[in-house]
Amino acid sequence: MNLNIVGKDILRVDGLSKVTGKALYPQDLYIDDMIYGKTLRSDKSHAYIEVDIKEAEKIKGIIKIFTYKDVPINHYGVVFKDHEVFCREKVRQIGDPIAFVVGENERVCKEALKKIKVYYEEIEGVFNPIDAMREDSPKIHGDTNIVYHYKLKKGNIEEGYSNSYVVVENTYKTHMVDHAFLQPEAGLAFVDKENILTVMVATQYPHYDREEVAAALNLSQEEVKIINTNVGGAFGGREDISLQIHLALAAYTLKKPVKAIYSREESFIAHSKRHPLIMKYKTGADKNGYLQIMEAEIIGDTGAYASWATNVLRKSGVHATGPYFIPNVKVDSYAVYTNNLFAGAMRGFGATQVPVAHEQQMDILAEKLGIDPISIRMKNIFKKGSVSATGQIMLESVPIDRCIEEVVKNIGFSMSVGRG
Amino acid sequence: MKEIKLKVNGIDYILNIDEDIRLIDLLRDKLRLTGTKEGCGEGECGACTVIMDGVSVNSCLVMAFQADGSNILTIEGLEEEGKLHPIQKAFIEEGAIQCGYCTPGMIMSVKALLDKQPYPSREEIRKGISGNLCRCTGYNKIVDATEMAIKYIKEEGV
Repeated sequence: MNLNIVGKDILRVDGLSKVTGKALYPQDLYIDDMIYGKTLRSDKSHAYIEVDIKEAEKIKGIIKIFTYKDVPINHYGVVFKDHEVFCREKVRQIGDPIAFVVGENERVCKEALKKIKVYYEEIEGVFNPIDAMREDSPKIHGDTNIVYHYKLKKGNIEEGYSNSYVVVENTYKTHMVDHAFLQPEAGLAFVDKENILTVMVATQYPHYDREEVAAALNLSQEEVKIINTNVGGAFGGREDISLQIHLALAAYTLKKPVKAIYSREESFIAHSKRHPLIMKYKTGADKNGYLQIMEAEIIGDTGAYASWATNVLRKSGVHATGPYFIPNVKVDSYAVYTNNLFAGAMRGFGATQVPVAHEQQMDILAEKLGIDPISIRMKNIFKKGSVSATGQIMLESVPIDRCIEEVVKNIGFSMSVGRG
Repeated sequence: MKEIKLKVNGIDYILNIDEDIRLIDLLRDKLRLTGTKEGCGEGECGACTVIMDGVSVNSCLVMAFQADGSNILTIEGLEEEGKLHPIQKAFIEEGAIQCGYCTPGMIMSVKALLDKQPYPSREEIRKGISGNLCRCTGYNKIVDATEMAIKYIKEEGV
């Protein structure tokens, strides 16, 4: 086959603009008569709120302070519309947006943020997803904190245990991770000459942003345009709305270009995180090291908002066995609301966390059976024709054996070492 | 307000500035040299690196009035007569760029390093760019690009 691109060194089309500093990110955009916006965010995790903007509005240079009262449709979200553009009566996490101050410059906006009075009536919060699953726990939205339950069953569980010589049971926990992309969120919105509300922003999904901006402002999608600038890293952290609706609302209402730039600190509390998981695993193998059974309960803390929790925890469940053939499998994977910072898409999307559990289980099984950690993997890995726990038949490229062989070679692992 | 004089990318400026603005604000908001990026505002990420009197500095940690009388080089001043600097050329060719937000600061740190030490080891290159965070590349290609730039500089006698 003659390929023009694959296997060849290709220069990035945006390389030149990036090495010369000419590539524009949203913070680099300047328009005449541009005004600025800053977001007031909750510093409490769970509280009823009353907001008084009277003092702040009086500050010279302040043009308007937006709250929930100014938003036509105050809800948005990638799967469930559980985010509020501005919190109406309750904050559910630190960093929840309460108001958007628009002024002549950033300095007056910062001053006004300090003058907005927020009366918090704190309510009991819940910060551990296991506690949050209990019926008597404080509820974040509605009457249950369980957003999603993915169930996977294959084979016969009893048989799996009776065929096992060794069974290991452990609980593994992974932590919250931030994407820490280098370019903090920023954007510029304006109404263009053709009366199209335009938002220039660094985003992973201009088409979804357009839907969400139009829906919140009660406009048709044709009246909204999203222009994706250069994106200074994303890694999943720019899949949810951050400042797009705030900017669009301000520019549409005031008919002026409005710009906002988040500080690194605000960026951290404004966007999603990797879901922390609690993974309870029970894995059994026969005397020869062949896996017979795996039971897993995976609980994902999605914080105050669902974002992509259903998709992420489904993926954790689907990938729970790792790249191993296991005849009998039971997986229950949950996404649960808490008052922690919300979790969403982040590199690997739920598949990154589960190896912490399934690979340690393999090492511990190997040790108990007196087999080395490589051999036990080679016995159980997917090969061409293997069937996964979800029923997928692997018909194409399944080169895990080659991958492990390379690793063994490169780390200088001797197969005889550790063999019982 | 305070009047300061400084040279940026070979051009002399006399500017009236607010005392509380930082060098990065002067470069970006006053001179619209937006190639210098702000990533953290506290000197951790190095995206705002510029060369001030021959030394690489975080322009978010230098107050604008402190730059009075100084000579500043930013990413926009690296090309000469429309020709890319060898470091810029090497970054493109090695694929040492992804999202690009750290790139200007990274290139300025490499420039400051090579100005002082024309033939650094890989370890010394890593040390030289240790004040610059890159979230995309994993740094290897940036070190490779620096080695390629060293070769180009030697060949061209820049």
